[in-house]
Amino acid sequence: MTNYILALILGVMFGFSLNKAGLTRYAKIVNVFRFTDMSVLKFMMTALVVSMSGLYVLRGLGLISFPRIPETYIVGNLVGGLIFGVGMALTGY
Amino acid sequence: MNWLKTQFQKELWSPYAAGVLLGIVGVLAVWMSDSLLGASGAFENLAGIIGKAAAPQLFNNMYFNFIMPSQITWGVVLLVGIFFGGMLGAFSSKTWKLSVNGDTQWKRIFGPQTWKRWGIAFLGAIVLQYGAGIAGGCTSGLAISGGMLLAPAAFLFIGGMFASGIITALLVYRRNY
Repeated sequence: MTNYILALILGVMFGFSLNKAGLTRYAKIVNVFRFTDMSVLKFMMTALVVSMSGLYVLRGLGLISFPRIPETYIVGNLVGGLIFGVGMALTGY
Repeated sequence: MNWLKTQFQKELWSPYAAGVLLGIVGVLAVWMSDSLLGASGAFENLAGIIGKAAAPQLFNNMYFNFIMPSQITWGVVLLVGIFFGGMLGAFSSKTWKLSVNGDTQWKRIFGPQTWKRWGIAFLGAIVLQYGAGIAGGCTSGLAISGGMLLAPAAFLFIGGMFASGIITALLVYRRNY
Protein backbone atom coordinates (compact mmCIF):
# COMPACT_ATOMS: atom_id res chain seq x y z
CA MET A 1 0.00 0.00 0.00
CA THR A 2 2.75 2.46 0.94
CA ASN A 3 4.33 1.56 -2.35
CA TYR A 4 1.19 2.62 -4.23
CA ILE A 5 1.02 5.93 -2.36
CA LEU A 6 4.65 6.52 -3.26
CA ALA A 7 3.83 5.71 -6.89
CA LEU A 8 1.05 8.27 -6.83
CA ILE A 9 3.25 10.99 -5.34
CA LEU A 10 6.13 10.27 -7.71
CA GLY A 11 3.65 10.23 -10.59
CA VAL A 12 2.35 13.66 -9.65
CA MET A 13 5.93 15.00 -9.57
CA PHE A 14 6.65 13.34 -12.92
CA GLY A 15 3.55 14.83 -14.55
CA PHE A 16 4.28 18.22 -13.01
CA SER A 17 7.81 18.27 -14.41
CA LEU A 18 6.52 17.28 -17.87
CA ASN A 19 3.97 20.08 -17.77
CA LYS A 20 6.50 22.68 -16.65
CA ALA A 21 8.90 21.64 -19.40
CA GLY A 22 6.03 22.12 -21.88
CA LEU A 23 6.21 18.52 -23.07
CA THR A 24 2.45 18.10 -22.80
CA ARG A 25 2.17 20.08 -26.06
CA TYR A 26 2.26 18.73 -29.59
CA ALA A 27 4.58 21.43 -30.94
CA LYS A 28 7.28 20.92 -28.27
CA ILE A 29 7.59 17.22 -29.04
CA VAL A 30 7.54 17.50 -32.82
CA ASN A 31 9.85 20.50 -33.04
CA VAL A 32 12.75 18.55 -31.59
CA PHE A 33 12.60 16.48 -34.79
CA ARG A 34 12.61 19.70 -36.84
CA PHE A 35 15.55 21.11 -34.84
CA THR A 36 13.58 24.27 -34.01
CA ASP A 37 13.06 23.63 -30.26
CA MET A 38 15.39 21.32 -28.40
CA SER A 39 13.43 21.25 -25.11
CA VAL A 40 12.84 17.49 -25.30
CA LEU A 41 16.55 16.75 -25.57
CA LYS A 42 17.53 19.26 -22.89
CA PHE A 43 14.90 17.81 -20.55
CA MET A 44 15.75 14.17 -21.24
CA MET A 45 19.50 14.57 -21.03
CA THR A 46 19.36 16.64 -17.83
CA ALA A 47 17.11 14.03 -16.22
CA LEU A 48 19.51 11.31 -17.36
CA VAL A 49 22.61 13.05 -16.03
CA VAL A 50 21.02 13.87 -12.66
CA SER A 51 19.54 10.43 -12.10
CA MET A 52 22.51 8.43 -13.31
CA SER A 53 24.91 10.36 -11.07
CA GLY A 54 22.47 10.07 -8.15
CA LEU A 55 21.97 6.36 -8.61
CA TYR A 56 25.62 5.46 -9.05
CA VAL A 57 26.65 7.56 -6.04
CA LEU A 58 23.93 5.96 -3.87
CA ARG A 59 24.93 2.50 -5.04
CA GLY A 60 28.57 3.31 -4.35
CA LEU A 61 27.58 4.24 -0.80
CA GLY A 62 25.75 0.93 -0.52
CA LEU A 63 22.37 2.58 0.05
CA ILE A 64 20.53 1.08 -2.90
CA SER A 65 20.70 -1.88 -5.25
CA PHE A 66 19.60 -1.58 -8.86
CA PRO A 67 16.28 -3.03 -9.94
CA ARG A 68 15.96 -5.24 -13.00
CA ILE A 69 17.89 -3.53 -15.77
CA PRO A 70 16.03 -3.44 -19.13
CA GLU A 71 17.33 -6.28 -21.29
CA THR A 72 19.29 -5.56 -24.42
CA TYR A 73 18.00 -7.09 -27.64
CA ILE A 74 19.88 -5.16 -30.28
CA VAL A 75 17.31 -5.70 -33.05
CA GLY A 76 14.29 -5.39 -30.77
CA ASN A 77 15.40 -2.17 -29.12
CA LEU A 78 16.47 -0.62 -32.39
CA VAL A 79 13.41 -1.64 -34.44
CA GLY A 80 11.11 -0.75 -31.56
CA GLY A 81 12.76 2.65 -31.36
CA LEU A 82 12.38 3.17 -35.11
CA ILE A 83 8.65 2.34 -34.98
CA PHE A 84 8.19 4.42 -31.83
CA GLY A 85 9.77 7.47 -33.46
CA VAL A 86 7.27 7.36 -36.33
CA GLY A 87 4.38 7.39 -33.87
CA MET A 88 5.97 10.12 -31.79
CA ALA A 89 6.48 12.45 -34.76
CA LEU A 90 2.91 11.83 -35.99
CA THR A 91 1.12 12.36 -32.69
CA GLY A 92 3.40 14.69 -30.77
CA TYR A 93 2.95 12.68 -27.56
CA MET B 1 9.15 31.58 -0.10
CA ASN B 2 8.03 34.19 -2.57
CA TRP B 3 10.53 32.90 -5.05
CA LEU B 4 9.10 29.39 -4.72
CA LYS B 5 5.60 30.71 -5.32
CA THR B 6 6.66 32.58 -8.44
CA GLN B 7 8.33 29.46 -9.78
CA PHE B 8 5.26 27.37 -9.02
CA GLN B 9 3.03 29.73 -10.96
CA LYS B 10 5.33 30.10 -13.93
CA GLU B 11 3.92 28.54 -17.10
CA LEU B 12 7.18 27.13 -18.42
CA TRP B 13 10.41 26.33 -16.65
CA SER B 14 13.75 26.02 -18.28
CA PRO B 15 13.81 22.42 -19.56
CA TYR B 16 17.02 21.96 -17.58
CA ALA B 17 15.22 22.78 -14.31
CA ALA B 18 12.32 20.45 -15.12
CA GLY B 19 14.84 17.78 -16.11
CA VAL B 20 16.55 18.05 -12.72
CA LEU B 21 13.17 17.47 -11.04
CA LEU B 22 12.53 14.38 -13.18
CA GLY B 23 16.04 13.12 -12.44
CA ILE B 24 15.36 13.38 -8.70
CA VAL B 25 12.04 11.57 -9.16
CA GLY B 26 13.87 8.82 -11.06
CA VAL B 27 16.35 8.34 -8.21
CA LEU B 28 13.58 8.36 -5.58
CA ALA B 29 11.63 5.72 -7.52
CA VAL B 30 14.58 3.33 -7.39
CA TRP B 31 15.56 4.23 -3.83
CA MET B 32 12.15 4.10 -2.17
CA SER B 33 10.12 1.77 -4.37
CA ASP B 34 12.78 -0.30 -6.15
CA SER B 35 10.92 0.49 -9.37
CA LEU B 36 11.63 2.24 -12.63
CA LEU B 37 9.53 5.10 -13.98
CA GLY B 38 7.58 4.25 -17.09
CA ALA B 39 4.34 4.86 -18.87
CA SER B 40 3.80 2.50 -21.80
CA GLY B 41 3.87 -0.69 -19.72
CA ALA B 42 0.94 0.53 -17.64
CA PHE B 43 -1.20 0.78 -20.78
CA GLU B 44 -0.42 -2.86 -21.52
CA ASN B 45 -1.42 -3.83 -17.96
CA LEU B 46 -4.72 -2.00 -18.43
CA ALA B 47 -5.23 -3.50 -21.89
CA GLY B 48 -4.69 -6.92 -20.31
CA ILE B 49 -7.35 -6.25 -17.66
CA ILE B 50 -9.87 -5.15 -20.27
CA GLY B 51 -8.91 -8.01 -22.59
CA LYS B 52 -9.28 -10.65 -19.87
CA ALA B 53 -12.74 -9.35 -19.10
CA ALA B 54 -13.80 -9.26 -22.76
CA ALA B 55 -12.04 -12.29 -24.24
CA PRO B 56 -10.41 -14.41 -21.53
CA GLN B 57 -9.30 -17.14 -23.97
CA LEU B 58 -7.49 -14.75 -26.26
CA PHE B 59 -5.66 -12.99 -23.45
CA ASN B 60 -4.73 -16.11 -21.49
CA ASN B 61 -1.15 -16.25 -22.73
CA MET B 62 2.44 -15.84 -21.57
CA TYR B 63 2.53 -12.16 -22.36
CA PHE B 64 -0.50 -11.06 -20.37
CA ASN B 65 0.03 -13.58 -17.57
CA PHE B 66 3.69 -13.01 -16.80
CA ILE B 67 5.51 -10.42 -18.92
CA MET B 68 2.89 -7.68 -18.65
CA PRO B 69 0.53 -8.99 -15.96
CA SER B 70 -3.05 -7.78 -16.21
CA GLN B 71 -3.11 -6.17 -12.78
CA ILE B 72 -3.12 -2.76 -11.21
CA THR B 73 0.65 -2.51 -11.04
CA TRP B 74 2.93 0.15 -9.56
CA GLY B 75 3.16 1.63 -13.05
CA VAL B 76 -0.61 1.99 -13.38
CA VAL B 77 -0.75 3.99 -10.15
CA LEU B 78 2.17 6.07 -11.38
CA LEU B 79 0.22 6.79 -14.58
CA VAL B 80 -2.74 8.07 -12.54
CA GLY B 81 -0.29 10.29 -10.67
CA ILE B 82 1.16 11.61 -13.94
CA PHE B 83 -2.33 12.61 -15.05
CA PHE B 84 -2.97 14.60 -11.88
CA GLY B 85 0.57 15.99 -11.87
CA GLY B 86 0.10 17.38 -15.36
CA MET B 87 -3.19 18.86 -14.25
CA LEU B 88 -1.57 20.39 -11.16
CA GLY B 89 1.05 21.97 -13.41
CA ALA B 90 -1.63 23.47 -15.63
CA PHE B 91 -3.68 24.71 -12.67
CA SER B 92 -0.62 26.22 -10.99
CA SER B 93 0.05 28.42 -14.01
CA LYS B 94 -3.67 28.96 -14.66
CA THR B 95 -3.33 27.57 -18.19
CA TRP B 96 -5.70 24.65 -17.65
CA LYS B 97 -8.22 24.47 -20.46
CA LEU B 98 -10.38 21.76 -21.97
CA SER B 99 -9.56 21.60 -25.66
CA VAL B 100 -10.13 19.07 -28.44
CA ASN B 101 -7.69 20.48 -30.98
CA GLY B 102 -5.72 23.31 -29.47
CA ASP B 103 -2.32 23.33 -31.09
CA THR B 104 -1.71 26.33 -33.33
CA GLN B 105 1.25 24.75 -35.11
CA TRP B 106 -0.81 21.70 -36.07
CA LYS B 107 -3.60 23.89 -37.43
CA ARG B 108 -1.23 26.01 -39.46
CA ILE B 109 0.36 23.01 -41.18
CA PHE B 110 -2.43 20.43 -41.43
CA GLY B 111 -5.58 22.55 -41.35
CA PRO B 112 -8.16 23.19 -38.63
CA GLN B 113 -10.20 19.93 -38.93
CA THR B 114 -10.51 18.18 -35.59
CA TRP B 115 -11.20 14.71 -37.08
CA LYS B 116 -7.84 14.84 -38.86
CA ARG B 117 -5.94 15.54 -35.66
CA TRP B 118 -7.84 12.84 -33.77
CA GLY B 119 -7.55 10.28 -36.56
CA ILE B 120 -3.80 10.74 -36.98
CA ALA B 121 -3.32 10.84 -33.20
CA PHE B 122 -5.21 7.54 -32.85
CA LEU B 123 -3.27 5.75 -35.59
CA GLY B 124 0.02 7.30 -34.48
CA ALA B 125 -0.61 6.21 -30.91
CA ILE B 126 -1.11 2.61 -32.05
CA VAL B 127 2.23 2.75 -33.90
CA LEU B 128 3.86 4.35 -30.86
CA GLN B 129 2.57 1.80 -28.37
CA TYR B 130 3.45 -1.09 -30.70
CA GLY B 131 7.02 0.20 -31.01
CA ALA B 132 7.26 0.60 -27.25
CA GLY B 133 6.01 -2.98 -26.82
CA ILE B 134 8.72 -4.36 -29.10
CA ALA B 135 11.52 -2.29 -27.61
CA GLY B 136 10.49 -2.94 -24.01
CA GLY B 137 9.65 0.62 -22.99
CA CYS B 138 8.94 4.16 -24.11
CA THR B 139 10.73 7.47 -23.72
CA SER B 140 10.39 7.35 -19.94
CA GLY B 141 10.42 3.62 -19.28
CA LEU B 142 13.34 2.71 -21.49
CA ALA B 143 15.18 5.83 -22.66
CA ILE B 144 15.31 7.64 -19.30
CA SER B 145 14.91 4.80 -16.78
CA GLY B 146 17.17 2.48 -18.72
CA GLY B 147 19.62 5.23 -19.56
CA MET B 148 20.12 6.18 -15.94
CA LEU B 149 21.20 2.60 -15.24
CA LEU B 150 23.46 2.84 -18.31
CA ALA B 151 21.57 0.03 -20.06
CA PRO B 152 22.70 -0.32 -23.70
CA ALA B 153 19.06 -0.96 -24.67
CA ALA B 154 18.19 2.65 -23.80
CA PHE B 155 20.78 4.17 -26.10
CA LEU B 156 19.84 1.90 -29.01
CA PHE B 157 16.24 2.97 -28.49
CA ILE B 158 17.08 6.70 -28.35
CA GLY B 159 19.07 6.37 -31.59
CA GLY B 160 16.22 4.61 -33.36
CA MET B 161 13.62 7.01 -32.01
CA PHE B 162 15.41 10.14 -33.22
CA ALA B 163 16.38 8.65 -36.59
CA SER B 164 12.83 7.73 -37.55
CA GLY B 165 11.30 10.74 -35.81
CA ILE B 166 13.39 13.13 -37.89
CA ILE B 167 12.58 11.26 -41.13
CA THR B 168 8.85 11.16 -40.31
CA ALA B 169 8.81 14.87 -39.47
CA LEU B 170 10.58 15.55 -42.78
CA LEU B 171 7.96 13.54 -44.66
CA VAL B 172 4.86 15.01 -43.01
CA TYR B 173 6.10 18.61 -42.95
CA ARG B 174 7.72 18.57 -46.42
CA ARG B 175 8.29 22.17 -47.53
CA ASN B 176 7.27 23.46 -44.10
CA TYR B 177 10.08 21.53 -42.39
